[in-house]
Amino acid sequence: MSELESVIGLCRMVQSGKIEPFDIDFDYVMSVIQKHYPDIKNPRDFCMDAEALKELSLVLERQNQWIEHKSTTLYKDPFMLSQSLMALDIGAIADIFLRSWHPLVEMEQMSAATLAASLSYWGDLVPFAERWQDSEVEERETGIATRDEARQLGYLPEEGFTDIIEAFWRELGERVGPGGSIEYWDWIGADTYEQTVYRAYLTVFMVGYGYANATWNRMMDEYTIIHKETPEPNPEEAKISLSVLVDYEEWKLWRNE
Amino acid sequence: MAQRMSKAQQQYQRKLKDAVHLLFFTHHKLPGVRGWELRKELGSDWQNVLEVLDKQLQPLDLQVTQVLDDPDIIDPTNAQLQDARYYITMRGTVTQKTAKTIGWRIDDIAGLAVSVAYIISKQGKSPRQDVERVLEEKLPGWRVKINIDRYINQGYLGEDEQGILFLDWRSRAEIDSKKLVDLVVSYGKREQESA
Repeated sequence: MSELESVIGLCRMVQSGKIEPFDIDFDYVMSVIQKHYPDIKNPRDFCMDAEALKELSLVLERQNQWIEHKSTTLYKDPFMLSQSLMALDIGAIADIFLRSWHPLVEMEQMSAATLAASLSYWGDLVPFAERWQDSEVEERETGIATRDEARQLGYLPEEGFTDIIEAFWRELGERVGPGGSIEYWDWIGADTYEQTVYRAYLTVFMVGYGYANATWNRMMDEYTIIHKETPEPNPEEAKISLSVLVDYEEWKLWRNE
Repeated sequence: MAQRMSKAQQQYQRKLKDAVHLLFFTHHKLPGVRGWELRKELGSDWQNVLEVLDKQLQPLDLQVTQVLDDPDIIDPTNAQLQDARYYITMRGTVTQKTAKTIGWRIDDIAGLAVSVAYIISKQGKSPRQDVERVLEEKLPGWRVKINIDRYINQGYLGEDEQGILFLDWRSRAEIDSKKLVDLVVSYGKREQESA
């Protein structure tokens, strides 16, 4: 392990709480980084140098937090605190804790409405014997298919995934206009549930790959999909993570509306 | 006018009842309700409703507790209040006898107290092995591991992928950290003076 790697490891120990922030000698770490800087020859060395600087700056941040923590009323010398803890017997520690403990109150209750809903669910539930019927498996000869044949059989999409996403983005643009927005369900909703799931699935990638934006209105508990005039696609690095939200009941409600 | 007042009062009473239902009964995997959920159900005066509810709970030795995502915030903004979690907790404290009746052994309570105080002294996070080492001074080793897992399951402690322990949501909701640390230190000082 190189000297620079040891320094990075040392700085990381502060982040994980294994050593105190002020156990790190800033000047020493800086001198190591400076010493190695003229020897940089390739991108790997550059990355290592940048990594060391980043870790050192995080140490400085922790040192700052440590000073802030020390200035609060919560701060007590860790050594004194641990000595006090060790000096106390178990009964005294428990007693001290109980004087600063305000347990949560939480209740669970079955209501008549919940019972009625559960009974109706039970009525609709298909018996195990019907649900888990053995599927009839038939032995088939294996064979070889070309890519075109696989496409014809529907195992492979006709076009590339990026083409599908781009066509989807163009559809969004045509529907809401450049930079326009549309409510999530109005965008993904289709005549069949399968088609709705498919549109929700594509929307996840369209947003994740940078073709559209999604905003969530907490108050109304709903998403809005916003068309991006200039997409910034980068499938390697998804920018936003959006869950696939296609509840069957919600779809039925949307369709009836 | 009198009828209008009474309607307003009725509406407020209904909001108080809704607040009780939201705060007392478990709705999610974790107890407690976010500020924005309360606002959605109770309307824009949700904070006033909570204040009134808190006063009404006082004689029952209960209180409405607010826990901010960032415990260091002193003067929260409206947005931070909507992100905060709200719980019903005991206003007072419990005796050892009561703690036993709700399923806590004295060793478990002491272990939790030491873990929490130790993590606070380490600025909010500490490697699990360090906490285990401290607990092993007074508790059998096999029990220490079980206890720490239990504190994690109950939400008092959290553990990240690197085995670093930190104070989790339940500690922030239930434990008065400042009082705990003050009591430990003052108890230690008293012991030293009397020695």
